[in-house]
Amino acid sequence: MFSDIFAFTYEIPYLLTLLLIIPLVGAIATLAMGGKRQKNAKYVAGVFSFVTMVLSVILMFTPDLSVYSESYTWIETAGVKMSYILSVDGLSILMVFLTGVLVFLSTVFSARESDKPHYFFALILAMEVGLMGVYMAGDYFLFYIMWEVTLIPMYFLISWFGGPRRHYAAIKFFIYTHVASVVMLIGIFAIVFGAATGGIADFSFEAVLAGSAAFGSTFQVLVFGLLFFGFAVKMPIVPFHTWLPDAHTEAPTAGSVLLAGVMLKMGSYGIIRVCLEVLPEGAQYWQPIMVFIGILAMIYGAYACIAQKDLKKMVAFSSISHMGMVMIAMACLSDIGIQFAIFQMFAHGLISAVLFMVAGATGHSVGTREIPLLGGLAGKLPLLAAFMMFGFLASLGLPGLVGFWAEFGIIFGFYDYAVSVDMLWLVIFCLLSLLLTAGYYLWAMQRTMFGRLTTKIDLSHIHDLSRPEVIALGAVCALIALFGLWPDLALSYLEGYSSSLALTLGVI
Amino acid sequence: MMFDSSIVTTIFAEFSPLAPMIVMIIGALVMPAVFFATKRKSAVAAVMIAVIAISMLFNVLMMVDGYQADYAGLFAYDAFAGVMILLFQIVAFFTALVSVSSSETTRMHYGAFNALLLAATTGMMFVATASDLITIFLGIELASITSYVLVAMKRSDPRAAEAAVKYVIFGGLSTALTLYGLSMLYGVAGTTNIEDIAIALSTQDFSWAFGIAMITMIAGFGFKIAAVPFHAWAPDVYEGAATPVTMFLGTGSKKVGFVALFKIFLVIFVAASSTAAFATEELQYIFAIIAAITMTVGNVVAISQNNIKRMLAYSSIAQAGYILIVMAVMSEYALASGMFHMFTHVFMKGGAFLIVGALITVGIGEKISDYQGLAKRAPFIAFAMTLFLFSLAGIPPLAGFTSKLFLFSSAIYDGGVMTQWVWLAFVAVLNSAISLYYYTRVVKAMYIEKGANAERIKIPKTFTAAIVTCVVFVIILGLFPQLIMDFCADAAAVLFG
Repeated sequence: MFSDIFAFTYEIPYLLTLLLIIPLVGAIATLAMGGKRQKNAKYVAGVFSFVTMVLSVILMFTPDLSVYSESYTWIETAGVKMSYILSVDGLSILMVFLTGVLVFLSTVFSARESDKPHYFFALILAMEVGLMGVYMAGDYFLFYIMWEVTLIPMYFLISWFGGPRRHYAAIKFFIYTHVASVVMLIGIFAIVFGAATGGIADFSFEAVLAGSAAFGSTFQVLVFGLLFFGFAVKMPIVPFHTWLPDAHTEAPTAGSVLLAGVMLKMGSYGIIRVCLEVLPEGAQYWQPIMVFIGILAMIYGAYACIAQKDLKKMVAFSSISHMGMVMIAMACLSDIGIQFAIFQMFAHGLISAVLFMVAGATGHSVGTREIPLLGGLAGKLPLLAAFMMFGFLASLGLPGLVGFWAEFGIIFGFYDYAVSVDMLWLVIFCLLSLLLTAGYYLWAMQRTMFGRLTTKIDLSHIHDLSRPEVIALGAVCALIALFGLWPDLALSYLEGYSSSLALTLGVI
Repeated sequence: MMFDSSIVTTIFAEFSPLAPMIVMIIGALVMPAVFFATKRKSAVAAVMIAVIAISMLFNVLMMVDGYQADYAGLFAYDAFAGVMILLFQIVAFFTALVSVSSSETTRMHYGAFNALLLAATTGMMFVATASDLITIFLGIELASITSYVLVAMKRSDPRAAEAAVKYVIFGGLSTALTLYGLSMLYGVAGTTNIEDIAIALSTQDFSWAFGIAMITMIAGFGFKIAAVPFHAWAPDVYEGAATPVTMFLGTGSKKVGFVALFKIFLVIFVAASSTAAFATEELQYIFAIIAAITMTVGNVVAISQNNIKRMLAYSSIAQAGYILIVMAVMSEYALASGMFHMFTHVFMKGGAFLIVGALITVGIGEKISDYQGLAKRAPFIAFAMTLFLFSLAGIPPLAGFTSKLFLFSSAIYDGGVMTQWVWLAFVAVLNSAISLYYYTRVVKAMYIEKGANAERIKIPKTFTAAIVTCVVFVIILGLFPQLIMDFCADAAAVLFG
């Protein structure tokens, strides 16, 4: 834990609210930087996202997170009660940290954005409000609002700043995830009103958790299905994944980084926070299906990667594959499974940021991301090649980097599960996925950066990474190495949470 | 004298329950005279606004004080009446405010227009206070007949004449059906007072006469609220009428049908639910099926519309489907939620129609393709339109989200027990997701597609004022629904006794 190194004990008043307010104010301030002040937009956005990041880092150094919980009654009428509750625990702290860091770094990375930069950075900051809100919310009403708030900035980010098929991708993203959200909303109604006591339906996590003891088995199984569907489309799961490659291919780099790095995690976060915590019996019933879906995503995603021509689309499919690993880890319903599911969310957040940054930078530098058109670029673009190599190796699980520990832990946990259900052969799928992953990454690397220099494209204008891009990439890579060498730094936040959740899941 | 409802009781004495309506009637009578005396639209508008404001003030004073009184067994002012009257007053206020500067009303006789508008609103308010079948029917007729004329008044457009004819024919049919149903009900119960009917019926068994009464009333009111399959008139009428009138019909007139449905059906069924053999469940199913079909047809057909007024008309049909959930669920919470949704609907749908009207006034057409590049030409208008449409689609944290949240959740649980209407909530949320598609088309046209013309637009001030008000309410009611929901909860408690 960071707080073991240095404990930050000064209590900043309303810290969690500040984590919402600062990006919000920043978004408005950035939006005001139109017209002649356009070139200042990035500095304004940079300052606000930097302050947010600092606050999220301070949170990491806080020994006792519970001091920052905030709770106020918001709406109390006609038998329903919604509250403004923010809190951070072992599950959400890493996600909050990840959001703070990645939003700042993607702002830095996009510093050269010159087309309507005030809109661009305002949208990124607006998205940060939603993301922070989802991870800190302690009330289903607030949670759902924040969940939907992330959609609109992302929609505009894709359709204003995206690639050639951006309109199609943006609307597809919007409709897919919105349909999933409304199904999830029905699930939320079910658990909130099902847990209602004394005629008051209290939307807070705490009240629902307290009332969840009364849920019957059939109820749990049905409602788990609704909520699971809502969350899993966001992760995404095969066959509801098709919005993701499109959205990624068309989105600007910063959008992709946030989409893969933090937004997909909303799905798995929701499954752990809502489905597993509130509906343990439903989780038992759905366990085999979760395993199946996870394996499907893992193998299908990796297999699809091999066939991709667009570098960014390949990275998008690799996200599907890696989120499949999160799914099987969660599906173990064990201490170690949950712990490493969260750790993989964190690890993949960092690694996918690097991957999307290098994929985006390839598009900028070379002018195309089509793998068959590239080749032998390492000599011309040494920095890009180095970062790409680092990202790919981290993603395929090179020991010493953060991805290794995540995959190691997941397979370790999954092995236990496979033994307990007497189906050891399931582990083969994990190994197959690792093999495929190593294969497509190395093959892609081979085709783009090494070998003979390409003659299919005009190379006179290519340029290596710009300074802001190097800074952003360097910072994420440093974090990947830090948590790779010292995984306990992050894992220690999760121990208490995962063991108590495993206890709930095991009791039934 | 204290500044509370005693002002009203001092002035109006035993007529106090009718105070807001009396003010409106006086206004309707003097309006042509004001026009002839001054010959100036602005003077008429000022008087008009003053009349509505006074009426609204009286109503709010009575509502906040929890004033309750009965007049001759025909009218009763209670929390329910107060809330619905306030809704009708708000709609009338917006209509009066923007019709001054709308280009679509310039060739109308302005004195008569306002007089009719006040008369129509009075009719709606009568329905809200009525406690007798006769007064309900009279209120509906007063509101309908004046509305026919309001539609026909746009003489510059042949579509208006077509719309008015359709409206009269469908309206007449609806009236006939309603009246037939009401007379059957009288025949069964032997009285026209709603409370007495409820008492009389609670001791009776189900009879075929009663069944026919219910079915014809559903059909009659179904026309009013434009529920499928009685909806065919709505898109034509909404398209043909002057846009301020369209707004008045879409957000105000439509709710009259709901008020009448609530008054007659809910009161009877709540009283009757204690006795068995009363076909309550069958009727609930009928309403649930109508609700599901109405919202689905409305949303699906809206997707293919290119005229924005028609699109909003179909979206109104879908919204009526959502509100019909109240009639299927028949719980106090559902009613409160439904009333709250009617309120948020006034601001979001009303706001969208206001923008359409404002843009027609400055020469922009009614096609969605005419809205291309609007974000550059009128940033605030485009932003406001986006808010209204997203609110209609139920995107948080806007008012439409919160009201749909209440409404749909009422279909899932009732007093800690899961209802049998969960499937209806499903249909509703999926519809809500479908609706996002056609609303986004407009947003996309405004923000993403490039228009042929890049000239800045300046819309009339009265429109801006009305639109800003709607924006404020769409945001505030989304974040603090209790401002209105508390009143709706009180109102629902009245009908559920």
